Amino acid sequence: MFDFIGKRKWFFILSILIMFAGIAGLLINGIQLDIQFEGGTLMQIEMNDGDFETSRAEEVFYEAVNKTATAQKLQTINAEDNQTIYLLQLRIASSETLTDEERTEAVDALRKEFNIGFDAGIEMQSVEPFIGRELRNKGAIAALYASLLIILYIWWRFRVMNLSAAITAVISLFHDLMVMFTFYVIFKFPLNESFIAAILTILGYSINGTIVIYDRIRENSKLLRKASTAELVNTSINQTMGRTVNTAVTTLLCVLAVYIFAYYYNIQSIKEFILPLIIGIISGVYSSVFISGPLWVLWKERQQHKVVEKRA
Amino acid sequence: MRSNKGLGFIVTVIVILFLSYLAVNGLNLFGFEILGVEGIRYGTDIKGGVNAVLYPDTENPSKEELEIAKTIIGKRLDAKQIYDRELTTEPQNGRIIVSIPWGKGETDFNPQATIDDIGKTALLTFQEVDETKVDERGVFLPTGRIVIQGTDVEDTGVVKDPETGRMVVALDLSEEGAIKFEEGTGRLVNQRIAIFMDDQFISAPTVSQKITGGSAVIQGYFTPQEAGDLASIIKSGALPFSLEAKQVNSISPSLGENALSVIVTAGIVSLILVFLYMSLYYRLPGLIASIALLGLVAGQLLLISWFGITLTLPGIAGIILSIGTGVDANVIINERILEELRSGKTLGAAVDRGFKRALTAILDGNLTTLIAAAILYMFGTGPIKGFAVTLFLGVTLSFLTAVAASRTMTKSVGNMQIAKNKWLYGA
Repeated sequence: MFDFIGKRKWFFILSILIMFAGIAGLLINGIQLDIQFEGGTLMQIEMNDGDFETSRAEEVFYEAVNKTATAQKLQTINAEDNQTIYLLQLRIASSETLTDEERTEAVDALRKEFNIGFDAGIEMQSVEPFIGRELRNKGAIAALYASLLIILYIWWRFRVMNLSAAITAVISLFHDLMVMFTFYVIFKFPLNESFIAAILTILGYSINGTIVIYDRIRENSKLLRKASTAELVNTSINQTMGRTVNTAVTTLLCVLAVYIFAYYYNIQSIKEFILPLIIGIISGVYSSVFISGPLWVLWKERQQHKVVEKRA
Repeated sequence: MRSNKGLGFIVTVIVILFLSYLAVNGLNLFGFEILGVEGIRYGTDIKGGVNAVLYPDTENPSKEELEIAKTIIGKRLDAKQIYDRELTTEPQNGRIIVSIPWGKGETDFNPQATIDDIGKTALLTFQEVDETKVDERGVFLPTGRIVIQGTDVEDTGVVKDPETGRMVVALDLSEEGAIKFEEGTGRLVNQRIAIFMDDQFISAPTVSQKITGGSAVIQGYFTPQEAGDLASIIKSGALPFSLEAKQVNSISPSLGENALSVIVTAGIVSLILVFLYMSLYYRLPGLIASIALLGLVAGQLLLISWFGITLTLPGIAGIILSIGTGVDANVIINERILEELRSGKTLGAAVDRGFKRALTAILDGNLTTLIAAAILYMFGTGPIKGFAVTLFLGVTLSFLTAVAASRTMTKSVGNMQIAKNKWLYGA
């Protein structure tokens, strides 16, 4: 049997280090918000070929609407015929978000300049800053309410373990959120809706892992009456190890397969969603095994310590 | 028990294979049609198309005003022959959301211009009719000889004509409008006056007599719904209510469909990987779990298609998570069975105890996820809602397949002589 509780110090230290890295990254890099949250306009136009100048596109854009855009050349592969698709991407900052008319004018001007056909794919994403704010706030509120109800449910279902267990379960969820956040700020990924979807997925995945271990603790607390809290939790984590490993392997297998496909065909939207998912699955397994249970033992031991002190 | 050797297993497998067939191919039996994956509506983020959030240029628009604007946008999209669309008002946020997926084979649809157009104020006019100026469907064309226009109408309502019992639209005109209308109707007795919104024809009632006093009724064979629509359109023509798209997301169909086909291939490959891993690691119960998982995926696709849920990328995330919980439930059960076997139990006892002891963990895990999904649905916005819906459906189905289907199959197979070998269970 592996001694998870005895070595808990090291696991806690590792998690705290990751969170410090996240805070450091936040101070150095700042948070990058994607236009869904920040506001702004993003255009992607399918070009005839890869032979065009981004600087010329910026000029044409400026002449058309008198606003500044940053142009970039992108490419992706069509899954049907394996042909490369060349894209012109224009990014316009939130302070200059385009209006309906300006969007039409800009596209028309670019069409004329680069001979883009009317059947060419055009993607456009435009968000006024205040909508981005609203989206952020509503997402945060929904997540907050969901965690509160999860605490209540776990408290009730695992009452043998007290409210403390529900709190350590949510702390381990917070841990996963921080790990994913750290990943985003360090690698300067912009936060967007994919990030929210990935976080929600991971929180569901991670709480499941914690519950399987708590379920074993609940069951063992009747069987191993003489065992200390540390022994009880350690036995339960070891007994559920088979489940932990096999579930982690199967889910990682799935998301890795999807990532490889998305990477090969260079599909941005899927890559953006799956990469944080991979990080999150690893963090979720880690926090279920090394954080929620061991942290609960620490809490319990402190409590007992206090009781003893009072008696003395 | 000896009599139903393997029967439960065979029946469950047949049901799951049938559901999978339905999900992939659909079914058309005696005119009763079930659509499989073909019938799934994809969101604009997958299929391509345009999604826009429209805001009125006035502060705090009322619920009624938004409904009127929605009706107008609907009429305008009809005129452009865009019928596949979703229009929703959000009165608490004072906005309207338009979502138009890309139609099959469409090449000349210009989402940007469409959105730009539908936000403009509608101009309502009552025009003289030239009986010779009609289009190919026999509908009057605008003549430009305007009797009154939207700004002359002060209020509209729907009333029942006490004599005929039909629904009519009542108009209340401004002072200036009343004068113009009196003059116009006096001149055009027994002729028609056509009502247009911009250039779109609405209706052409006949003037039965000169109308004085600033109130008029439009008669016709209206249902209450039609009369209400007409009344709201006429009233809104008088409304200075232009809409601006403050959030637009338009994705080209080539790029969108590319993402979809990659997701589908990747999904099939990852399912096969899971089936292989489960079957190699847990052997017989692993194979059974794979069949149950196939049932979960097929059931989920069918439900999404039947309920007409619009599938978006976050929605696919919800499906992935629910497949994850389905895999997890089967892993929990199989680990428990293995544990019981290792402690020296007989096969039958191990299977019984394995399922029973795994149940609390699965139940608590699934219920927690369901609670979270319900909350996210209630408080979340668009993308988060899409995630919550598929997650809720999927977790419910995952509980059914992992617990009910797997259990029926495992127990039924356990009664067969050939399956009474502990090696088959991984021990």
